[in-house]
Amino acid sequence: MYDNPLTKRTAVTHEVKISARGVNVFYGENRAIKDVDVDIEDKTVTAFIGPSGCGKSTFLRCLNRMNDTIDICSVKGLITLDGEDIYAPSIDPVQLRAKVGMVFQKPNPFPKSIYDNVGYGPKIHGMAQSRADLDEIVERALRRAALWEEVKDRLSSPGTGLSGGQQQRLCIARAVATEPEVLLMDEPCSALDPIATAQVEELIDELREQYSVVIVTHSMQQAARVSQKTAFFHLGHLVEFGETGQIFTNPHDPRTESYITGRIG
Amino acid sequence: MNDRHIVKSYDRDLEAIQALIMKMGGLVEVAILESAQSLENRDEELAERVRKNDRAVDELEERVNQECARMLALRQPSASDLRTVLTVMKIGANLERIGDYAKNMAKRTGVLVQMTPIDGSAGAIRRMSMAVEAMLKDALDAYIQRDAELAQDVRMRDMEVDQMYNALFREFLTFMMEDPRNITACMHLHFIAKNIERMGDHVTAIAEQVIYLVTGEMPEDERPKADRTAVEAPRV
Repeated sequence: MYDNPLTKRTAVTHEVKISARGVNVFYGENRAIKDVDVDIEDKTVTAFIGPSGCGKSTFLRCLNRMNDTIDICSVKGLITLDGEDIYAPSIDPVQLRAKVGMVFQKPNPFPKSIYDNVGYGPKIHGMAQSRADLDEIVERALRRAALWEEVKDRLSSPGTGLSGGQQQRLCIARAVATEPEVLLMDEPCSALDPIATAQVEELIDELREQYSVVIVTHSMQQAARVSQKTAFFHLGHLVEFGETGQIFTNPHDPRTESYITGRIG
Repeated sequence: MNDRHIVKSYDRDLEAIQALIMKMGGLVEVAILESAQSLENRDEELAERVRKNDRAVDELEERVNQECARMLALRQPSASDLRTVLTVMKIGANLERIGDYAKNMAKRTGVLVQMTPIDGSAGAIRRMSMAVEAMLKDALDAYIQRDAELAQDVRMRDMEVDQMYNALFREFLTFMMEDPRNITACMHLHFIAKNIERMGDHVTAIAEQVIYLVTGEMPEDERPKADRTAVEAPRV
């Protein structure tokens, strides 16, 4: 079936982009993530699924050190990006987050113009030599986020004036503008209507050509639609990790089966 | 895994499509036995009834297909629920084919009662159809009980049906060689035997669906086949 040109969602094994070994995360005394080992591949969409409070968002936030911003949170274990320990003292978290971009559940545009929302990152990372360069970067990012046609005539109006779905695509444009290598998405579609959701899913599929995408989603169908690999988290454990088609037709762990089929687990 | 869905109507729907399959299975089992019985007893009335009852099986299959399409669209089942819906659809198609073969047997019975009976043939066909009916019953039990072992047993038993068919094939050939006046009846009887042999194949396909439902994988081993009539000349 993998020869079928219709299904370009094969689990072709790519190089490992992010590798986690023996990862434990504590919120004070509370151990939220328990001994998680996982390899996230390049040019692959990996979905994290699991019930609320299972630790999937916490684990996602470890991957670009967003948990650093929470005082009581401590991360143990080894997480590497291209073989390099991202928690090593030599790593600058700001530089790391330029490589590992993130899109959040709620759209959070800067209180600036649409243009500046997208152009800010490339500007501070010195990616544009001239105004013309920056124009090009902004347009490319907005096009990739399927937003260009809707906003090209009002780039200077505030990003906060857009609709919810447009704001979320603006945040995605902002995240891809810095050309990250990995894109983390924490429930990117939970506030979007089905059309905007489909546009974001199409974008995720396109991004996969170049990046590694990790998406946390409560929609099992979304995980099934967009990802090639799926990880199921439960009570802080990584219960099952495998090819998405296998997870959704024949999961090996009974807890995975209970969860994805909507039974009381 | 927990048995119950959080959404209770989901369980009811899944049970409903499986109940339809069981109902179909029950009708088809009766059709197999009654068509063979009508042949043995030269009972035209019973044969006519078998032919008429097949319509109910066809209608049930149509309903199974509709309900399954609905479930796929509305509930997007996954994992074992998805396998349940997929296997229900396939088993429905297999049962419908078996029903058609039984109906065809009943039709030929209508012709055969006008002719001189061929010695011993009706009894042999009756035994063969009983073997297939027993296989079907076990396959459906295996389905309800999610019993892959019983399903595997059913798969293996198809060989016995094939052997009975081989024996009948040779027997009919002998009869036809002995007396050309037997040819018409023997041709009909041979079609009937072949129909039952094909029923066995469909029952085997049902058993394979049970294995897929339970394990998530189709059986990989080659099933033993004993129908050699297409590959070697019979020795008579």
